[in-house]
This record gives sequence, C-alpha cells and structure tokens, in this order.
Amino acid sequence: MSAQLFRGELVRLAAVDPDEMSKAMPRWNLDSEFYRMLDSGPQAMFSAKKVKEWIEKDLEKDPAQDMFFCIRALADDRLIGFMSLFDNTGHTGDALVGIGIGEREYWGKGYGTDAMRVMLDYVFNELNYRRLSLIVFEHNPRGIRSYEKAGFVREGRLRGMMARDGRRWDWFWMGILREEWAARNGGGARGGD
Amino acid sequence: MDDDMLKGKLVRLVASDPLGEAEAIVRWSANSVYRRLCSTDVPLQYSTKKYKEWLEKDAEKDPPPFNFFSIHTLQDDRLIGGISLDGGAYPSGETFVGIGIGDPADWGQGYGTDAMNVILRYAFEEMNLRRVALDTFEYNPRGVRSYEKAGFVHEGRMRGFLNRDGRRWDMIFMGILREEWEARNR
Repeated sequence: MSAQLFRGELVRLAAVDPDEMSKAMPRWNLDSEFYRMLDSGPQAMFSAKKVKEWIEKDLEKDPAQDMFFCIRALADDRLIGFMSLFDNTGHTGDALVGIGIGEREYWGKGYGTDAMRVMLDYVFNELNYRRLSLIVFEHNPRGIRSYEKAGFVREGRLRGMMARDGRRWDWFWMGILREEWAARNGGGARGGD
Repeated sequence: MDDDMLKGKLVRLVASDPLGEAEAIVRWSANSVYRRLCSTDVPLQYSTKKYKEWLEKDAEKDPPPFNFFSIHTLQDDRLIGGISLDGGAYPSGETFVGIGIGDPADWGQGYGTDAMNVILRYAFEEMNLRRVALDTFEYNPRGVRSYEKAGFVHEGRMRGFLNRDGRRWDMIFMGILREEWEARNR
C-alpha cells in the first residue's frame, strides 16, 4: 500500500479552506492565460465573496457531488492550485478530473504531473474507478504533455469546439483505464514499487 | 425562405405539449432497450407527473436549457420522438444535439435521420451556429449509421466508458462543422 495516499514527490492534496481559496482564485483568474486553459467559457471575473459562496455551498452537499482538493507544494506547504473530480457516476466507474496550477512559477516543473499521479492512485486504489477522463484544449500543449506523462491516452479530438483569438480550437478527450494505470505501476499502487 | 424550415421529408418538428410528451416518454421508457440507447443513467422509471413537471419547469426558464422539439410524422401527425439542442449563449457557436425515437416500430424508417437533417438546417441556417456535436454508444450501430448519413464525422471514442450487461462499451463522439454541412447541401 502507498504510505500516504495524498502525498506525492512534490505536492500533497489537501482539503480546501474556503477563506484561503476564495482569496487565491480571483488572483489566479486575473491571469487570462491560466483562465483560458481552465475553462471554455468566456473569461469572467468573480469576486472572493462569490467564490467563497460556491465553495461553501459545494461543501454542504451530502453526499458530495464533486470532490475538490487544493494542491500544496511539499517544500513550503504553499497553496499553488487545485484539483477536482466531477461527473462521477457510480455505476460506470468513471469521472472527469480537472486541475489548475494557479501560481505561474510552478508551471513546467512537474508539480501538476505529480498531483495527477496522486489523484490517479486515489481514484484507482481507493475509489476503485474503472477509468478517469479529462478534457484539454488544443492551445494547452504543456497540459497535454503532462497528462501523457501521467499515463493518459488521447481518445478523441472534437474539432473546432471553441472560438478564441479569431480562430477555432479543438478539444482533446483523454482517458486512462484502470489496467493501464496498474501496468505502469507494476500492478499495484504508486510507491509500491 | 418560402420553405417551412422545421419540416422535413418524413417528419416535422413541433412545440412540445408537456402532458402528451410526458405520457409518451413514460410509455417509451418502459422499454429498457430504448432507455439504454438514450442515456448512460441507470434506467429508473419515473411517473408522467414527474416528467410533465420537468418539461414544464424547463420550458419556463429564460433562456431555456434546451431547445426541445417533438417529432411528428408528416403522414399522420403522430408523436414519435423528441430532438433537442442544448440552450445557452453559444459563445463559440457550438451546441450539442440529442434525439430519441420512442417506439421500436418506428426505428429504422429514416424518421430520426430526417429529423436530424431538419435540426441541422435550423442550427446552421437560423441559429448560425458553427458546429453541432453528439455522443452515442458502441451498442447503437443504428444510431451511428443515421448520424453518419446526416453528415456527422467520428471524432473519438471514450474507451470502456459504460459497463452494461457484464462488459464495457465505448462512448463515441461525433461532430459536424458548418462548412461540412454547407458542402453537403449546396
């Protein structure tokens, strides 16, 4: 068994503190490059109050509809981003995963990939899902590379789903099956090798 | 401009009557084959009252979450199914279409393909959208053939998404671009 389910090599996943997250999110969202990688809708600005209300409303749901985690750097426990699992339908054993590294200085250094590996371990070895899916936009090659490193396979290309900056952009569907994850980890849990 | 754009060769699209639609959905949904073709959800059975409430609640929203039409045969004006485009603001000119023909006796007669042709014309020539998408399941080859006939292109497969009857099935993504539709209808 993994020694610590929510701890990777660079980051750990932790519970969301609505006060802390509602301050960080509006600041991250000022960065439109970040926002456009995260969301397909037209960029909007949300107040800390609004973000806090959403998070608190979500936390009140029982059972939790979506799972929401914050990502903290192990080195100094700094809040650098968040992760969520949503659209999980118990009977198919699939969910969508979303990830955002809001602090730019942590981009391209393996933090997101590490967080994704932690999530995959949780999804397959604790939640017992059969597969995990994600959507990434054509204009986010860094994200695509990171997901491939974590073991995701390209499953589809939805042509011209989004119009931005005067052209159309594809969406990529990616997925990883439980068997694929197990094969990459010597048949067991991450850290079990 | 003189043609009724909601009328096809075999069917026409009409406003939904919540009570009639709800009664039909309950009748069609008693058949799990139909339900499994429509949805990934576990096919629970709901009452006419419940469906009517949902349809009425949706119809009251402004803008509506779905642009929903009932499908009627041209020949005898019979309700045979429904088709809808996702509602909203369409910032990228993109939407999602869902279709169901309820009674197995009406399957394979070209009604669905005809209804799809009508809604694509509506989406591209009236709503001025750029793209329409749908997804369907590996065990629905009749649907896939119909969508291909209407011009949809395969865009991907979500491997093993559904677990039904003891095996896993892919979800299939399809889409059609405005240019493709125009090239077919010029």
